[in-house]
Amino acid sequence: MAGLELLSDQGYRLDGRKAVELRKIQARMGVFAQADGSAYIEQGNTKALAVVYGPHEIRGSRSKALHDRAVVNCQYSMATFSTGERKRRPHGDRKSSEMTLHLKQTFEAAILTQLYPRSQIDIYVQILQADGGNYCACVNAATLAIMDAGIPMRDYVCACSTGFIEDTPLVDLCYVEEAAGGPQLALALLPKSEQIALLEMNSRLHEDHLEKVLDAASKACRDVYAVLDRVVRDHVQEVCTLLGE
Amino acid sequence: MYKTEKLLHLRTYKRRPVRIVRELYLREDVPCSSSLCQAACANEGKVLSGDLTHYLVPDWRVVQDYLEILEFPEMRGVIFMQTACQAVQHQRGRRQYNRLRALLRDARRECISFANEFQHYSYLPREKGESMEKWQTRCIYNASVWYYRHCHGQMPVVMLTEDEEAIKAYGSETGGVFVISFRDYLESFWPDLKAAHELYESILQSQRERESESQENHGKEYPEHLPLEVLEAGIKSGRYIQGVLNVNKHRAQSEAFVRLQGTSNKKTDLQSDILIHSSRARNRAVHGDVVAVELLPRAEWKGRTCALSDNEMEEKAGEPHAEPMPTGRVVGVIQKNWRDYVATFPAKEETQSQGKNALKILVTPWDYRIPKIRISTQQAETLQDWRVVVRIDSWDSTSLYPNGHFVRVLGRIGDLEAEIATILVENSISVAPFSEAQMREMPVDTPKEPWQVTPEEQLVRTDLRDTHLVFSIDPKGCEDVDDTLSVRTLANGNLELGVHIADVTHFVAANSYTDIEARARATTYYLADRRYDMLPSILSADLCSLLGGADRYAVSVMWELDRETYEIKKVWYGRTIICSAYKLFYEAAQQLLDGDLTVVDEIPELQALDSEMGQARLEELLWAVGKLTEIARHMRAKRDICGALELEGVEVRVQLDERKNIADLIPKQPLEVHETVAECMILANHWVATKIYESFPHQALLRLHPPPCQEFFSELRECAEAKGFIISTRSNKALADSLDKANDPADPLVNKLLRSMATQAMSNAQYFSSGSCPEEEFYHYGLALDKYTHFTSPIRRYADIMVHRLLMAAILKDKKTEVRETLFGNKDLEELCAHINARNRAAQHSQKQSTELFQCMYFRDKNPESDERCVTDAIIYSLRTNGALLFLPRYGIKGAAYLRNKEGAVITCLPDGHCEWRPGSLQRFQNRIVSSTSNGSSSSFTLFDHVTVRISVQFSRCHADRIHLEIIRNQPYQAPTAELWEQSSSLLKTDLVKEVTRSAEEAQLAQEEAAVKGVREELQEYCQSQGQSLYQLLEEVRNLALLDVSAG
Repeated sequence: MAGLELLSDQGYRLDGRKAVELRKIQARMGVFAQADGSAYIEQGNTKALAVVYGPHEIRGSRSKALHDRAVVNCQYSMATFSTGERKRRPHGDRKSSEMTLHLKQTFEAAILTQLYPRSQIDIYVQILQADGGNYCACVNAATLAIMDAGIPMRDYVCACSTGFIEDTPLVDLCYVEEAAGGPQLALALLPKSEQIALLEMNSRLHEDHLEKVLDAASKACRDVYAVLDRVVRDHVQEVCTLLGE
Repeated sequence: MYKTEKLLHLRTYKRRPVRIVRELYLREDVPCSSSLCQAACANEGKVLSGDLTHYLVPDWRVVQDYLEILEFPEMRGVIFMQTACQAVQHQRGRRQYNRLRALLRDARRECISFANEFQHYSYLPREKGESMEKWQTRCIYNASVWYYRHCHGQMPVVMLTEDEEAIKAYGSETGGVFVISFRDYLESFWPDLKAAHELYESILQSQRERESESQENHGKEYPEHLPLEVLEAGIKSGRYIQGVLNVNKHRAQSEAFVRLQGTSNKKTDLQSDILIHSSRARNRAVHGDVVAVELLPRAEWKGRTCALSDNEMEEKAGEPHAEPMPTGRVVGVIQKNWRDYVATFPAKEETQSQGKNALKILVTPWDYRIPKIRISTQQAETLQDWRVVVRIDSWDSTSLYPNGHFVRVLGRIGDLEAEIATILVENSISVAPFSEAQMREMPVDTPKEPWQVTPEEQLVRTDLRDTHLVFSIDPKGCEDVDDTLSVRTLANGNLELGVHIADVTHFVAANSYTDIEARARATTYYLADRRYDMLPSILSADLCSLLGGADRYAVSVMWELDRETYEIKKVWYGRTIICSAYKLFYEAAQQLLDGDLTVVDEIPELQALDSEMGQARLEELLWAVGKLTEIARHMRAKRDICGALELEGVEVRVQLDERKNIADLIPKQPLEVHETVAECMILANHWVATKIYESFPHQALLRLHPPPCQEFFSELRECAEAKGFIISTRSNKALADSLDKANDPADPLVNKLLRSMATQAMSNAQYFSSGSCPEEEFYHYGLALDKYTHFTSPIRRYADIMVHRLLMAAILKDKKTEVRETLFGNKDLEELCAHINARNRAAQHSQKQSTELFQCMYFRDKNPESDERCVTDAIIYSLRTNGALLFLPRYGIKGAAYLRNKEGAVITCLPDGHCEWRPGSLQRFQNRIVSSTSNGSSSSFTLFDHVTVRISVQFSRCHADRIHLEIIRNQPYQAPTAELWEQSSSLLKTDLVKEVTRSAEEAQLAQEEAAVKGVREELQEYCQSQGQSLYQLLEEVRNLALLDVSAG
């Protein structure tokens, strides 16, 4: 299998999408009764589960408490069965602690933490199946879970990865496309205000192309927003019909 | 815009134990690219027109195998299904896929690709247990049907497949979609397209061959090597044979030989080498590797090719082969002898065809015997015209070529320094300047602090400064004088002969840095224009050089000879202090010997004295030289009686000629003085060998010359018979006698050639450790001595240093004193000998290669058509089926000339002697070749015929340039004018450098260029080109710079 053709002459990607098309996104909110908020999301074959507890009192050492806002505590993990090879993934390895940090930064920017001084919000995310765009799936899942928990946010946080192959930006990379090793950009966007919550890039990309890729990424994030919004509205409607007889 | 409503399909497939799931998104809006489309597909770019008789859908198999036929312009309306394209990409690799892509992009060609796997209705999921191939065929068929329906049945679709079952299953399933085989299609639709039919047949043919091959090895290029334990066991049991692989330089693709190694082989009936035919049988072994070979059954034995060829020529089927010889195949490599290889990148035009981002590049090694090496680099373009060093990393059984990597750049192709560096690397010679640590070990000798004999040394050494008349005879201008002679009459009337050799071991302590470096180098390397010393120049040119009038340490061997019979009565070995009185050169010594006293003016040591004193000294010297010659003659005669030989004389002479070529040092005619000095040295070597063997029977370093294999003499015998001589090769004495007799008075070259052939037939002399060889085998065949070693040139040979240490230890042992130095044990010494032998070979090769390089450079700028120097006399000394080997006495070049060229024309002679290429045939007889042309005339070339040849240089990008010879007359060369004839006849010897220099001067005078003085002679060779070469310009600039400095 010498050199997969990531983008064919006809403009199709390996899985039949075109360059600007997202994978199919399916999501559900409120999957756990025990947690304050929870959500499950599928982006193509990438599947993520997010649970939110809080806001509640600071657990553990009180010294971590902040007097003016809430502490956002994140934890990212991958299930042993999430990848092609079965592998035990202990907590706190380099990759997952980096991911944890990124999630924390993203949500500290989005959640209105100043409303809950001296308290803590826990966000636990787990990847059940990894097929590219793990970070993005986690952010999207966590957004839904936070909404489910009823914690106020500035806006939805929508994330989408974008690659750049043969002078074309490809949105929402799958695992094969990620593994090809081209430049990759992960963007977490607050879609209404078009504010960037987090931007991360791997590998090298010429600065002339950056704008093009960024445009494609924010467009994709808005597409994600449309889907998430639909999911939230459906969920709310459903809950309403259940509650409000 | 938002499209998640696509159906999500999962496609699973197993690769290794891992299960990978991939998504597949299907859509309805895949453009069909047909002008007949009525569904408003968004067609862009190429569109199939509607005026065709049918659309053609090739199966994945057909696209893979018969793409070349589909490329015909007659093939219109071809739809390449995505499934088929992917099959090509995955199974045929990038090259064929790129071809397919180029075809699809070509706007002139009416062919499109259709993404059937992304089309909602043409896609079929793979069923459980269905083979990939079946599924692909089914997919393509389904897509064809969809396509037919999509166009509303306006256009019949023909699907081509090689799968018989598919033809049966789908053939009549849908009307309007025809499924037929490619052969049927060609026959029914294109009966007149002959080219396509032919191509189809040839592709089919090659496919069958591949299949039959891959059945044996399951798609691998080479069979796997056997594990080492199996090999060892096999070698012990005699099933496999161990040997060193030797690739035929002239037929590197197909022929290699395995020279049997050591005594580990039980099959004694195998005398000759084993032929390894074709690179598959060679099984990834590289030249020089130690391999294990399995013999093939006798029915599959092949003969070696005896036609001349160079590597560019394709092997022809009908080429004549000699008698079948043992043939085998390599089953394993026991020891890899990969070294650094000099290689060249392919020219730009060739790389481009490999694709723009092809990072893997095949480089061509300089040595023909090494296969091309695949390296990955991004500098291919910048390194186009450079010689680079590469190393082989691995060679998998699945790969046709070895993988390697790029190491460093040597220099531009064609540049002198780069080519010299190439020769050095190819011979694994490393000649970094001596390090500081090494130089610190050296004694000091500056005008301020002159080196002096220390009192301690004076106590332990015998002082010969006042008692002996010591003198040296060396080539003119020689710097490293390592041997001196003395002769005197003792009080009892007997004679005392002394050989005094520079005491290098006094300065080079065992295992010091200098010693380790010298051991690594093992010898001084003489190239055509330069020299790489084994020892730092402070030793080689100063303190260890026994210059005239300077006190020097020496190791001496002195014999007491009977005054009448010159019988050796006593021998003495020891360390001495000497002061050489005269530093004579050969010509002067010879003139003194002949009684010609005019030469006295040239001896500086005699100038300073007043006439009376001078006269006395001169008398003394004359007597010594005369006596010495007399003794030498006597020794020589004694050796001759014992079965001694003229052979070594030939060898020495050849070597001297080589040196002559290089440094312009040696007279044209061999003088008797040469033999005198050589005889004394042989005597010293012999006695030292005897001494160290007596003292250390198990660890003495000796030199042996094994008796030659009788088979190798067959060519010599045949040649001699052609001239009517009979060469007897029973013993060394018989050989020497018959060689002496084989002298053609009309042509002195004949004898010379026969002698050099005899030398070639003999094996090389070698160093060895006396403990590893039975005493009977110590015999030196060439010199007819039972023991021999090298003792007399410690400055330029490491073996001599070892022998000096052994001799010193032997003297100490005699005195019953403790042996201070730790000597090498037998095993270590044997290893050291192997190393020195290898280095000596490398030195010889590099010398030969650099001489060839200079020859090519000499002829490079000459126009072979017009320059008279390119036309010269040659003598045929060996015949092949399609050519002859020639010797050019004027330049000392040996080379091959074709009598039949690549077009099949043969050389034929016109009545006036000129030769022409004419169509015809060649016939080879025992000692002549007859070329007969189609019109009936014939001409023959007999051994030892003189012919006229034209010399030209064959350029080669990746390899060394080569001298190309073409016979232009079948008569001896006649110079156009008397003057020129004189000139060329005066050049009897192979003194190329001399000739080059002379002609360079002439050319310069003719051009009235300002003669540049103070330029080294060697450099002038490069100034003589008549055309304006860049090198010349640079060289002139450099000369100017030199002038400025010297003027200032």
